[in-house]
Amino acid sequence: MADKMEVDAVNGEKEAETVGPAPDLPPERVIINNFGLIRQAVNAFDSRFTLRALRSTSTLRKSDNFAEAILQGIRTAFPKPNIGPRKVLEDMLPDSVKSAQHQQNGVASGGKEKDGGDDQQLPEIWAYLGVLVQVYLYDAKEYEDGASFSTNFVEKIRSWNRRTLDPIGAKAYFYYSLFHEQLLPLPPSKQSPVIEIRPKLLAALRSAVLRKDNDTQAAVTVLLLRNYISTADITQADLLVAQTQFPNNATNNQVCRYLYYLGRIRAIQLSYTQAHEHLESATRKSPTNGPAVGFYQQATKLLIVVELLMGDIPDRSLFRQPSLETALYPYFKLVQAVRVGDLQAFLKCVGVNEGQFRKDGTYTLILRLRQNVIKTGVRMLSLSYSRISLRDICTRLSIPSEESAEYITAKAIRDGVIEASLDHANGHLVTTPQRDAYSTTEPSEAFHARISALLGMRDECVMSMRYPMDKHKQEIQEAAKARERERELAKEIVEGEGDVGDDDDGGFEGM
Amino acid sequence: MAENEVKQIISQLEAIKPAQLSQAPQLLSRGKLALLHLNALVPTAQTQTPHLLLACHLLEQGALVSIRLGDTDAFTRYFQQLQPFYSLPPERLGNQVPARTGNQSKVTGLYLLLLLSGGDYAGFHTVLEGLETTRGKEQIEQDQFIQYPVRLEQALMEGSYDKVWSETDKKRVPSEEFEKFSEILINTIRSEIASCSERAYPSLPISNAKNLLFLDSEGAVIQFAQARGWIAKDGRIYFPQQEEELAAAERDVMSSTGVVIENTLGYARKLETIV
Repeated sequence: MADKMEVDAVNGEKEAETVGPAPDLPPERVIINNFGLIRQAVNAFDSRFTLRALRSTSTLRKSDNFAEAILQGIRTAFPKPNIGPRKVLEDMLPDSVKSAQHQQNGVASGGKEKDGGDDQQLPEIWAYLGVLVQVYLYDAKEYEDGASFSTNFVEKIRSWNRRTLDPIGAKAYFYYSLFHEQLLPLPPSKQSPVIEIRPKLLAALRSAVLRKDNDTQAAVTVLLLRNYISTADITQADLLVAQTQFPNNATNNQVCRYLYYLGRIRAIQLSYTQAHEHLESATRKSPTNGPAVGFYQQATKLLIVVELLMGDIPDRSLFRQPSLETALYPYFKLVQAVRVGDLQAFLKCVGVNEGQFRKDGTYTLILRLRQNVIKTGVRMLSLSYSRISLRDICTRLSIPSEESAEYITAKAIRDGVIEASLDHANGHLVTTPQRDAYSTTEPSEAFHARISALLGMRDECVMSMRYPMDKHKQEIQEAAKARERERELAKEIVEGEGDVGDDDDGGFEGM
Repeated sequence: MAENEVKQIISQLEAIKPAQLSQAPQLLSRGKLALLHLNALVPTAQTQTPHLLLACHLLEQGALVSIRLGDTDAFTRYFQQLQPFYSLPPERLGNQVPARTGNQSKVTGLYLLLLLSGGDYAGFHTVLEGLETTRGKEQIEQDQFIQYPVRLEQALMEGSYDKVWSETDKKRVPSEEFEKFSEILINTIRSEIASCSERAYPSLPISNAKNLLFLDSEGAVIQFAQARGWIAKDGRIYFPQQEEELAAAERDVMSSTGVVIENTLGYARKLETIV
């Protein structure tokens, strides 16, 4: 499950290479540099700087001395030893790191006191360090400590109510929920601690909406959905979606997750068309390589199953992508079985890969495919024979009785799967010849669907363009200046004209 | 005192005879009042284990009785009330799991069947998904009360209506409460078959239609055919709907001109904004 949540990580890495600090900086420098970014964010009231600071987390957590780096970060931000905020954070780090660090710090601290010495540190910087501590605890598998620390931590963040704190707060909630997921008993059980954090998440959602805090709102909505789905409370998840509005300007990663969970809910509720729509956008928006590939794989698996349930067959090229090939192998076999309508192969495939499907949470959906396999089988037979007896259908599709076969084909005809009619007296299925598709409205419908998809994409692109804040004000100022100059020029000309009037026109002729 | 009253009511309910069924609702409301006195109608952290068991038992009886009375709304209410009890950890219920799950799966199975007979497939799958994840596959697959609606759903979706027909047979139904739904299910499949036949057969001999629709006599077939607006003549049934649909399809192409014009205008407008 954890890999699904890692969508963030990949963007972080990409950005770190291009805009972030050079990758070979020691981690403690990176953290301290990030303080600068966060200060800038608070002063300029622009969350992009905070996001940039948070992005380096994924590279930081991989370094060997992550704990030491955090500790140094804490000590730089809070130079005085015994104040509250510093103690809270330091207590979470292992003792061995602290004692080792102490001696080093004793020597070097003289120089540090001057640049960081500010008793009233920004809450954002404290919260940023808090998130780093959460990441550290999670990587060190200290779930119990992490859960209790996070509980107090998110409470504190909520009490501040600062808009510049939002992106950090969203992260804090993310780890808060992640810690609780790891506590025993694990989620599918009804006594899992994830159920206990629901009221808190709902409260967080409420205050986020009231404060127009989009980051936290998006993050918490996604966490709640994940939470409900983990204990299979689909109805509650559905109600949550119906009662809340997902913020339009949420970050891409949150949108991906939201769409994925939404697709999942809709798939369980049998609205495959909607599920397909959501999952398709989720897979398109999600990063396709790096650490987030797990999410991409997961979403694609679900998408394949939903597509099959809709009666479509996914493209062969999908299974050839290098990042998906091995992960999708069982699904590839499944698609093969459904494509030819081979019920035996389908049952065998489900039997062999049951464990994998169950792990992916697609097992119950795959069981529903049975009827699609039969439908495809009927379709194949109807396409290849202009007339076939019901008995033959029975043997080819391994259906137990002719009566069943008759009902099944009748249903296929009604559902529009095949164009045929039944001859009850002789027990035949007679295929009616294909009508010319171009005499129907179908081509124009397909045309329209494609055009509207493209137009929609263009609109989204236009809407997602970002303009620097206050740029237009500058332009207005410049325009005003230009007008001023023009006026002056005009005045000069008028004044000049007076002079010119006295002279003869000879001057102009020269020009 | 209230505890004894509940116990008494439960034993009365268990021994109730079909003729006295109409008295059951009064008994149940008395029982629920008594449970309220014990603070056990809704499980809380303070409720004692024996009281929880009593409440669970009474509500289950209530659910079963409502099914026998054919009161599906009341049944749904009881089912919802039972949910918090079912999600309690086993040790809170004194580890009497076998005694508990017997009725639990019966009530859940009935609820699934209710959803199925109402055509609420989305609800059906939602409940089933929850069961699979919380209770594990093995338990579900061995549970005859739950497997019954699952089998029915599969057959319905596949279109093997003869399987549904044989499943509703008295001998194959897991318990008498499940029989209540048989009639609704048969009506459902009959109308399904009818709508399939309209499209699948050009015409159908009446004697064959009798078998197809699981009707008892040819007279019943003719009655059914008239109700659906079919024409019966010369011992065969003809489906006028087919011709109507063909005509409708013809008209469809004609009426789509408006849509085409609208779409083209839309493209033009969009192009204008882009270029």
